[in-house]
Amino acid sequence: MTGPDTPGIRRAWGWLAHLRDGGTVPWQDWSGGGPAGGLTLPGAQQLELLRRLNEAGPVSPSLAVRVLEASAPGRGRPDLELVGAVDRRPFGPPPVDPADLPDDELLRVAGAILAEDVVAAGLPEPARPRTPRPWRARYRLVGDPVLAAPRRADLIRRGLPPGRRGSVVYVLGTDVAQMTVDAWVARSLSYGAPPWPEFLAGARRRGTLPPAADPLRVCEEWAHEVGRARVAVVLDLDALPRLLRVRRPPAAAPDLSADAVDLARRVGQVLGLLAVPPQRRALLHEVLVPRLAAHPGAPLVLPQRHLRWARREGRRVRDGLLGAGYAVHGNPDGLLPVARHGVPEPSDAGVLALAMRLLLEKKAP
Amino acid sequence: MSSRVLLHVGTPKTGTSYLQDVLFRNRRALASAGILYPADRFDAHFLAALDLMRLPWGGLESQAVGAWDTLATKVRKHDGTAIVSHEILATASRAQAGRALASLGHGSGTEVHLVVSVRDLTRQIPAEWQENVKHRAALSYRKFLEQVRDPQRDSRIATWFWGVQELPELLERWGHDLPPERIHLVTVPPPGGPQHLLWKRFSLAFGLDGLDLDLEAERHNPSLGVPETTLLRRLNRAANHELEPADYRPLVRELLAHQTLSRRRDSPRLSLPPEMHPWVQEVTSSWIAEIERRGYDVIGDLHDLVGAPPAFDYVDPDHPDEAQVAAAAVDALKAVLLESARLKRREGELQHELLETQKALERSYLRPTYRWRERTVRRLQGGRLGGTALKAYRRLRGRSSPAA
Repeated sequence: MTGPDTPGIRRAWGWLAHLRDGGTVPWQDWSGGGPAGGLTLPGAQQLELLRRLNEAGPVSPSLAVRVLEASAPGRGRPDLELVGAVDRRPFGPPPVDPADLPDDELLRVAGAILAEDVVAAGLPEPARPRTPRPWRARYRLVGDPVLAAPRRADLIRRGLPPGRRGSVVYVLGTDVAQMTVDAWVARSLSYGAPPWPEFLAGARRRGTLPPAADPLRVCEEWAHEVGRARVAVVLDLDALPRLLRVRRPPAAAPDLSADAVDLARRVGQVLGLLAVPPQRRALLHEVLVPRLAAHPGAPLVLPQRHLRWARREGRRVRDGLLGAGYAVHGNPDGLLPVARHGVPEPSDAGVLALAMRLLLEKKAP
Repeated sequence: MSSRVLLHVGTPKTGTSYLQDVLFRNRRALASAGILYPADRFDAHFLAALDLMRLPWGGLESQAVGAWDTLATKVRKHDGTAIVSHEILATASRAQAGRALASLGHGSGTEVHLVVSVRDLTRQIPAEWQENVKHRAALSYRKFLEQVRDPQRDSRIATWFWGVQELPELLERWGHDLPPERIHLVTVPPPGGPQHLLWKRFSLAFGLDGLDLDLEAERHNPSLGVPETTLLRRLNRAANHELEPADYRPLVRELLAHQTLSRRRDSPRLSLPPEMHPWVQEVTSSWIAEIERRGYDVIGDLHDLVGAPPAFDYVDPDHPDEAQVAAAAVDALKAVLLESARLKRREGELQHELLETQKALERSYLRPTYRWRERTVRRLQGGRLGGTALKAYRRLRGRSSPAA
């Protein structure tokens, strides 16, 4: 946003100075003026995000500068000009009232700054795993990645790594509706996922459960490797300590709200350009997830309209497992969807509010 | 530090792939003239652009981490002229453009020149639709045109299209505080003009005149005709949800679009619907007036941007000749069959190699000393002293891998 020294431009510079000082007056209500403070004005997205941050809590000067200098990553609308500050020109996107910007546009900017924070925080020193216990059970934990991955990691830390000859493969699972949610959560927290409605629509179009949410498929793959006798499904997670011969149950993943997972997904997209894939996954799990887990909220559940499909898929998986003769620890009907408390999809407003809380809780350097 | 940087930021479909191919293949010849084209792979500047703009690109972005800083460092270290070129830079924000210019030395003594190659909208609009189709889009030409014309421009299509094509705005974002004489517009000549005229203009803009360069292109971004683009769009609609981006790129974009369908040159070409010409002329006239007012250096003729008059034989790609689409489909199917046969042969070869390796492995396991050696190594690895001894042994033997 450049241009001649007009009352509109002076008003915009005045608003910028007001926001820098922690002001919260919306653009349409702002009437003051000010001198130019640089070559160009930031876009409407950056200015409105700073205003909303000011509303939510005190913003450090360094954070204010970072917001104003940030660029929204990826594809989307360019930095927009303020309606009333400049006249509509025959070229360029139309100026906007920042209050009318969708939350998604502000989230692009907020997500980029959060991703920088996550990279700057760096990975914590890896905890040295205990020496492997020679008498440990021979096992592998696979299946629903939200159930299996954190438990496996915990067991490794405790000196009980998986593998070795003759291991029994335990396929962890729960009801297929939750496993579908978990498949999206796991992808969002690793190499990236489309938005939840798109992910779900893809699964419905294909007519099958996502691979990670289909224990029958996982069992078949492992049976091909080690034989059916050494593959078992675990639907009752309380049975795990007994199966693995440990006293303490392995640690589960922290609970994340639907909005938290969606925020992690968005931050992960930017992290994809700041860190190589294994580091991106580690940063999400070890730096961002603990921060997100500290902000509880409603978890994600499969929308009501997909439950009939999920029931059909649950029955298919259950009958397939029993028909093939796999050992099942827990009630096989546990694969059928059950009523769960939660929200059918993340909300942009909720995700933005969470992103702003995370930005504000960061201490100024 | 580079004394001069020529930064080429677009626009797409203006012969940029050809230019970049020539620059990449002639790096040595350029270097001998003191010109640096810093790239160790053909798409190095593309990856750098993804990194600068934090732009996800079907998984390719994982190869782009840190690519812009690497590129900028090479440019700054070079003593002479450096060239940076990629068309997707056209969509960078003001802040990203500012960061890019500063990282290349602008404001620290380096003379940065901005080069923008431009082509008339009557060719760019259909070309952008085709590019979208080659990047998995399944929307019709009519819907694409509607979104491009929507004054709100808030769709994904419109945002990208105007971001890379709207010259006055693009030049404003990238122009930053560069004086107009350091901003160079290279216009693409109208169709049917003398061959190599575009190269001559590029050569002038980049100061390559007089250099002995190999101009035979290995890479370019060929265009498709109406039935071929329609076929691709239908394939996208049918297979998009099942074909992963990593498979789409080699199979659809490379094998089908670039290597097969682009060779069908007799089919009708994509063009702008006649009823859109008046609007395009209005937009173009306002751009030309604005660019003239700003006083940039124009290499070519700004009136090249006016474009050709409406075609008499316009063919609507949403209602193509089905026989032509079927003929294109037969060619595509043939290409897929041949590729499948090639992959099958390769699979057989690899299976044979795997079998031979397995046999060799089994032979080594059968040696009586193998189990004894395996047990010894495991025992040594279990203790600190043994581990140290094993390390020392491996170092003496000259083996770097810690695995037994």
